[in-house]
Amino acid sequence: MKLSACQFISVIRKEFLINCRQRAIFVSMLMFSLTALACISLAIGGTFLESKLLSALLWIIIFFASTALDKTFDDEAITTLKIYGDSQSIFFGKMIFSLISMTALMIFLLPTFLILFDCEVKSPPILLITIFFGICGISGAGTLISAISATASIRSGLFSILLFPIILPIFLLAIDLTSAALLNFEIPISSLITMIIYDSILILAGSILFDYLWY
Amino acid sequence: MFIIFLFTVAIIAAIFLIVPPAQGLGYLVRIIYFHIPAAWLSVIAFFTSAFYAAKFLKFQEIIFDELSARAAKIGFVCVIFSTLSGAIFSKLTWGAYWNWDPRQTTIFVLILIYGAYLTLRLAVTDLKIRAKVSAIYSLLSVLTVPFLIFILPRMYFSLHPSPIINSSGLEMDSTMLAVLIAALIDSTLIFIYLMKRRG
Repeated sequence: MKLSACQFISVIRKEFLINCRQRAIFVSMLMFSLTALACISLAIGGTFLESKLLSALLWIIIFFASTALDKTFDDEAITTLKIYGDSQSIFFGKMIFSLISMTALMIFLLPTFLILFDCEVKSPPILLITIFFGICGISGAGTLISAISATASIRSGLFSILLFPIILPIFLLAIDLTSAALLNFEIPISSLITMIIYDSILILAGSILFDYLWY
Repeated sequence: MFIIFLFTVAIIAAIFLIVPPAQGLGYLVRIIYFHIPAAWLSVIAFFTSAFYAAKFLKFQEIIFDELSARAAKIGFVCVIFSTLSGAIFSKLTWGAYWNWDPRQTTIFVLILIYGAYLTLRLAVTDLKIRAKVSAIYSLLSVLTVPFLIFILPRMYFSLHPSPIINSSGLEMDSTMLAVLIAALIDSTLIFIYLMKRRG
């Protein structure tokens, strides 16, 4: 298991250039989240929603928007990467790029969500920290699951089927923390610590298991 | 095989003929002699599947993949049976089929994991690749276990009773407990038999 900084940066750069040219992954994530937001907002009209329900809706949208990451390994350069790149550089390079894509999505999604649902965030730092660590876990698990699902002949919906049970702990903790951040309830710090620990374990396990998949 | 069959018949007879009705539950208590062993087997099968998955990744022998898949298939049947029997018991005793109790959530996550694992196996046609990706997914899913066992019960209220066998001693009637333990042993023996069976 080795990680070459030069290769790692090259993988991120390659992902960035390819996505700038094609833009399909990011645009589909963006449009999906906008469509989902519009659907829910139009359906409920001006009805008041409890913070727990709002948090659940936000994370459901994030989860389904993240399914666009299943294209991470639909890469015409994959054979070249296998010859010249080491597995860890590719895993972390693709993971960091997924994280950047998800962060860019959140820059659009979060303000739109708060405006459409007329939410007042009582504890913005906690909300931002929760979202950051939530999407870290999704990116880590999503990169490995994307590599797994790329081997399948029938892929329709496979990525979300495989991803959901793995990120369920993050999902539940994130809803809990987001709800607390919206209401300014006592922030469950233990939930935040648990989420960070689970993220770290997920990324570490993803990195170890990716070696078996790659070679 | 014949001994396991006789043991199973004896336990079923004990459940319907010897076990007394439980206080507040009456003869509904009979459901738990099928529900608890099924839940027990679904967890054992989950770890067995992950164990053989790790062995496959280490030794790259296809027999370990077959054993891992077999454990997962047995586990999937058990987890479905356990969920259905639990939901019926829940409706009859607590008035609702489902309320996202921590243990219901745990068993539901197991259904999702088994379902995802078996779907993945169906979706990948190449034998070697299927074995590899299934093993990786099986091991990745083990990461959720500490969360389901230690964290989830603290997040949600539970209708389930405290563990039947706990540090404070045994809480069940001794006949009921003996039959339950025998049912657990029997189910484990059936699982071992099914795992060792050829084909």
